[in-house]
Amino acid sequence: MTFRFRAALLLAFSLGFAVPGNAQQQQPVQQPQTQQTQQSQPAAEPAVAPASDQATQQLDQATQDLQRLTDAVNKAREDDSKLAELKVEIDAVGKRIIGVSVSTRPRLDEIKARLTELGDPPAEGAPPEADVVTEERKRLAAERGAINALTGSAENLSIQATKLSNSVTAIRRDLFTNALLKHSEISWDMFRDASAALVTEGQAFRRTVGSWLTFAWSYKRFALLASIFLSLCAALVLVTATRRILDPLTRRRAELEEPGYITRLTAAFWTTMVPTLVATVFAASTYFFLNTFNVLRPDIAPLVSVALGLGVALTFVLRLARAVLAPRNPAWRLVRVSDRGASLLFQAILVMTLVNGLDYFFGKISEVLSSPILLTVAKSFIATVIIGLVLMSMALIRPMVPGPDKSESLGEPWPRAMSVGFVVIGAGLILTALSGYVGLGRFIANQIVTTGAIFVTMYIGILSGKAIAKQNALAGTIVGRHLEQRFKLEQVALDQAGLFLGLTVYALVILFFVPLILLQWGFKVADIESWAFRFFTDIRIGSITISIVGIVAGILFFVAGYFATRAFQRWLDGSVLARSRVDAGVRNSIKTGVGYLGVGLAGLIGISAAGLDLSNLALVAGALSLGIGFGLQNIVSNFVSGLILLVERPFKVGDWVVTGTTEGFVKRISVRATEIETFQRQTIMVPNSMFINAPVGNWTHRNKLGRTDIPVVVGYEAAPRRIMDVLLEIADAHPLVLKNPEPIAVFVAFADATMTFELRIYLADIVNGTGVRNELRLAIFERFQAEGLGKPFNIQGEAGATTAETQAEDDENQDVPAPEALAPAAEEAKARSANRRRPRRIVGTGTSDASDT
Amino acid sequence: MSMKRFFAACLMVAAVAQPAFCANITNKDAEAAVLVIVEGESRMEVAIGPGSTEALCPNGCFVTTPSGDRIGLDGSENVDIVNGSAVVN
Repeated sequence: MTFRFRAALLLAFSLGFAVPGNAQQQQPVQQPQTQQTQQSQPAAEPAVAPASDQATQQLDQATQDLQRLTDAVNKAREDDSKLAELKVEIDAVGKRIIGVSVSTRPRLDEIKARLTELGDPPAEGAPPEADVVTEERKRLAAERGAINALTGSAENLSIQATKLSNSVTAIRRDLFTNALLKHSEISWDMFRDASAALVTEGQAFRRTVGSWLTFAWSYKRFALLASIFLSLCAALVLVTATRRILDPLTRRRAELEEPGYITRLTAAFWTTMVPTLVATVFAASTYFFLNTFNVLRPDIAPLVSVALGLGVALTFVLRLARAVLAPRNPAWRLVRVSDRGASLLFQAILVMTLVNGLDYFFGKISEVLSSPILLTVAKSFIATVIIGLVLMSMALIRPMVPGPDKSESLGEPWPRAMSVGFVVIGAGLILTALSGYVGLGRFIANQIVTTGAIFVTMYIGILSGKAIAKQNALAGTIVGRHLEQRFKLEQVALDQAGLFLGLTVYALVILFFVPLILLQWGFKVADIESWAFRFFTDIRIGSITISIVGIVAGILFFVAGYFATRAFQRWLDGSVLARSRVDAGVRNSIKTGVGYLGVGLAGLIGISAAGLDLSNLALVAGALSLGIGFGLQNIVSNFVSGLILLVERPFKVGDWVVTGTTEGFVKRISVRATEIETFQRQTIMVPNSMFINAPVGNWTHRNKLGRTDIPVVVGYEAAPRRIMDVLLEIADAHPLVLKNPEPIAVFVAFADATMTFELRIYLADIVNGTGVRNELRLAIFERFQAEGLGKPFNIQGEAGATTAETQAEDDENQDVPAPEALAPAAEEAKARSANRRRPRRIVGTGTSDASDT
Repeated sequence: MSMKRFFAACLMVAAVAQPAFCANITNKDAEAAVLVIVEGESRMEVAIGPGSTEALCPNGCFVTTPSGDRIGLDGSENVDIVNGSAVVN
């Protein structure tokens, strides 16, 4: 039994895990056997792990894909764009192959772990182990071998994929070089042959087009006319629709003497885009209808499409050139060139575009009619030479705007670099063509025309972005005024909107035109897509990969988390805490604590979403702890102090606190510092650690009850008891003075010529101190005068809100001159006492100011 | 304000802490480990000294460890070589 069991297992493994490369062919044959063995031995476990089975299938699939792609590459050796697409596919297969072997890794780890658990097989002479263990070890070893074999074939496949991918790149490079650097003999013979071929081609062309026209007219007359009619209708609809946009522009064009820059740009944009759009719609619909009604023949279809495309391109370039140069409308010109220069430049551009387009069209004709390649070469040669000549002649144009003293129409010549550049490029083109590299010359000429047009458009786009982003530029435009009325935007908001719009225009211009230029330069859509994908998902700098998408996602998550926290805070504060009647300080602490927690969480989520590994952060934090110990010590201590303040709550927002030399109302308790507003409305940021490490006085900690004193100085002729009674009566009469604790009148000091009394009163709200003191003083003065009690002059001024007993002692030691004494002496004493008790004094004046306002 | 600055500082720290996106292979054994790395078209042998770490194959590769096991890496793993065998974290 044991033997049979073992044999069956072994067989099952050896079959199930055969190396994929060879196994694929063998498997179908051996499968029945495996099944048989398994059926005969129901005790045997399923031999093949499903994971590796699946991996094998995936690898098979990848092998097939790779084979298919190899064939496709061989077929598409001449087709650059097809090759570019294939390369993307091949790279994807390569990634998939690696993915397959990555997916088998967990199983391998399991096997290894189990093997370690089982331990090594017993050594020679050692007691034999249980059969089950030996079996399992064997089974695991076999599976391990199978997975390794699988990975080995994945390895080979991956190498194969990379090779194929690299060979595609090589083929594409060769294609490009060959196309560009093909050399052809330029001689009179060639031109003679070419002219002969041209005659033949002309006949062929006439015949083809003629026969098609006859055919279409006789058999497809209705379809032909209908399609032309329908596309005309479509264009007409578009024209009438866009007329509404263009109309105000044309009208304003006539009205405005000196249009603003943005207005000119807008006009240029619309007068270029609208006709181009109309032309595009007309061309597309014509082709579509002709095609749908089966009017086109395979030989005519490419000619028609090229002719239509040529029309659209010509419309665009000419409209654009006219909009930018405005040869007849100097006021609307976008670039600063002279009148004559503008019209000459316009003509040069016209000629170059026309030649370029016609060359393309004729090239297509030759291609369709399978004319000898010689003819194409000759045509391209002529086109290149013409474009070269035009470029050289452009150097002679004098487009620069002359100084004020010279005549406007003539213009200054180009800057030296420009004119030399034109001559060199033009001559270079002609020389390239003459030396036989017509393909290269043609390519460069084409690039100059089309890339130039794209660059000009891009430049205008950037200019308009700049113009919009300029300060207060948007407010002057129609859009700005509309925004202002519609959304009631302020000046600043409008300005910011302008900046935002300007930046958006930049982004759009770059997003749209850079790929266009790359396309023009022979890159393929697939290339650009894969670059863009790479750029946004992983940028590698050395061994570091940055994913823009990840970072943006992280920032978005953080922002979302931040706002969610704020919303939660508001809800908690407004709906829950407000009704729970907790103390304002607790409320503020909870609110702030929740805020810290939420923002911290949002930060963590953001960092994780950005794909940053938090474990690496721990490393940096470890390294930073030294830095924190030294450099960030203060900040950290303030931060921790802030947390302690939140928990301990020695003061709350709105309290009147004194710390060191700072005194005022607490406005805000934040992470690092607490905002205190002094009575003079100065805001002072006091670092939180100051509140923790130094004594803090709080006038309104538990309640706002406080004592305030009014010193009264009278001459010796008055009766002290009477004065004290009067003072108490006055205090009792005031509504804000508390009855309990009751007011006290104290005889504080004897001076040379005066007696000093002090009226000490308690107020329910100490913040009202100054007002009450003021009223009491008035009352005292009036009462004393009425009763002839002497004059209650207070030589020291206000004694302040502070009620320390030391003050009284101070007063006792002070020699106070008689009120009737000379004013300067009193002033001096005042100053002296101010000096001696400065901190107190600041308190006093401060209080008065605060309550005055 | 200060809070914003604080978190900006945190973010910057995090940015500095940007992990390397290569497979980091660390040899935890006492002797040097010779790995066969297949990356792209090439097959190469890389020796990693005891205790040292190499950052390899950002684009994914295959590694044959001294124990003879072959593993595929997609390029973001941390791998330890323990007893000649790979432990992927």
